[in-house]
Amino acid sequence: MISRAFLFVVVTLYTVFAAGPFVWVATMSVRTTTEISLDHYAWPQIWHWEKFPIAWFKSNYQVYFQNSLVVVVAAVIVLTVIGSMAAHCLARYRFRANRLLYFIIFSAIIFPPQITIISMFQILVQYGLYNSLPGLTLVYIAIQLPLTVYILESFFARIPADLFDAARMDGYSEWEIFWKVSLPIALPAISTTIILNFILLWNEFLYAVVLITDEAKRTLPLGIQRFIGDTMYDVGMIATGLMIAIIPVVLIYAFFSEKLIQGMTAGAVK
Amino acid sequence: MVTARADRQPWGAIIAFLLPAFTVYTGLTAYPVLRTFWNSFHKVLPRSEEFLGLANYTALAQDDIFWRAVLNTFTWACISPLVEVGIALLLALALYARIPGARFFRVAWFTPVLMSYVVVGIVWAWMYNYDWGAVNALLRFLGLGNFVQAWIGDPKIALPSLIFVTSWMWAGFNMVVLLAALHSLPSEVIEAAELDNCGWGAKLWHIIIPLVKPTLLNLLVLSFIGKMKIFDLVWITTQGGPLWSTETVSTYVYKRAFEWTSFDLGYPSTIAAVWFVFVLAAVLTLTWLFRQRDKLEY
Repeated sequence: MISRAFLFVVVTLYTVFAAGPFVWVATMSVRTTTEISLDHYAWPQIWHWEKFPIAWFKSNYQVYFQNSLVVVVAAVIVLTVIGSMAAHCLARYRFRANRLLYFIIFSAIIFPPQITIISMFQILVQYGLYNSLPGLTLVYIAIQLPLTVYILESFFARIPADLFDAARMDGYSEWEIFWKVSLPIALPAISTTIILNFILLWNEFLYAVVLITDEAKRTLPLGIQRFIGDTMYDVGMIATGLMIAIIPVVLIYAFFSEKLIQGMTAGAVK
Repeated sequence: MVTARADRQPWGAIIAFLLPAFTVYTGLTAYPVLRTFWNSFHKVLPRSEEFLGLANYTALAQDDIFWRAVLNTFTWACISPLVEVGIALLLALALYARIPGARFFRVAWFTPVLMSYVVVGIVWAWMYNYDWGAVNALLRFLGLGNFVQAWIGDPKIALPSLIFVTSWMWAGFNMVVLLAALHSLPSEVIEAAELDNCGWGAKLWHIIIPLVKPTLLNLLVLSFIGKMKIFDLVWITTQGGPLWSTETVSTYVYKRAFEWTSFDLGYPSTIAAVWFVFVLAAVLTLTWLFRQRDKLEY
């Protein structure tokens, strides 16, 4: 029993360690910088909710948020469609070069981003897509494609082939087999990749910082970064901005925690 | 039936299914990789390109900052996985012991990994703040004032401080994966060990670790790959400083390509190309080392 209690204390301490920093930021997000500088760890006396509309409208978070949303949603939609088409095809048809094509896509998962980022910059400049949201969307599709195909392929491959033979007997076309048989069955895996891609791209920073320079085109991570440069000491306002960036993720997590954990760990468990 | 299926492949459908994905892949992954290698032999200015042969490569071999960055990144990529996965294993075992509220702890510990490195970087820059950061505040509160320091401002400890942050971030993630692996083990094996009066340490070392070894190795490789790519956290907190103590290959490439006013994209491409080979070699070596010679059956 004593060891049980000890274990419980350790676990509780670790929880404070893991979640504490976020709680701290959350309290600072509703306190003014003057209040914070008096005592960084006090519980909010007056809850300054008005800081959120101020950050949203005056500090341009509205724009960053919209940009992030547009880029990420567009990229995730395209990724889901073309990723599941490719994954279905690689899992379903046993043609020559199938495994070679799969390996070519799969191996890109371990590529360090530097190997593509400089030439992506050149390519986007060349085609007038540098510093534009469509350009960033295209790049996001490209960087998440390998992982998407990898996760979906392993799921599609587990669908029994008899199902497809039966569908073909019923006169389904190849496209209908994909659309009416494969996709509905794979819905759990597809929603996993949607959530995973959403989170990873929502948090993406490196490609955005290279490919976007306009204030009006910044995504959220870039927007936040601007504020640490500009007003390093306006801690209270930065905390509010951080909360705005975190809230969508926290909301998704609150409702779909199991699904999200599944998505994030999908690549790790074989 | 089987032969008929193999003979008549609906090539039209196959090509239609693969075309969009492979167009994106060719245009924005394969071509950029090749172009980076091409760049690496040239001086690439906005309006002109000049063939240099191996000049960039010989310059890189003598570039002290590059080798410093390589050392830092490798240090990070070798230490982090061990710390993360080690902590994660202990945490997973704690929850596996059926503590009340295990579900809540699992969800709470996973949170840091959902936040972007930008958010985590700012939060930890504050945690490490000399005057009012939580780390120093805690040390002062505990009467350990001697240990108060500028965690990311001192070249001697800046890198370990950042490695600590990534461990904080990823331990929960690894824990969740390990917990799933533990739960999928046949409970008879562990119960049998308990019947044999097997001690806690022996049970861990001789039974649990061998059984979850495939997952452990997977996580180690995954964490290693992740740290070889690290950029965001460094860029937000220290930008590679102080005195290159936290410079990683990613931040150095970024600086040389987009911050330095040389405007040359050739040299940073050389760094990227060499690093690409390093990463592939390291990952191949690891998978070769970790290949399952004796697969456990249960």
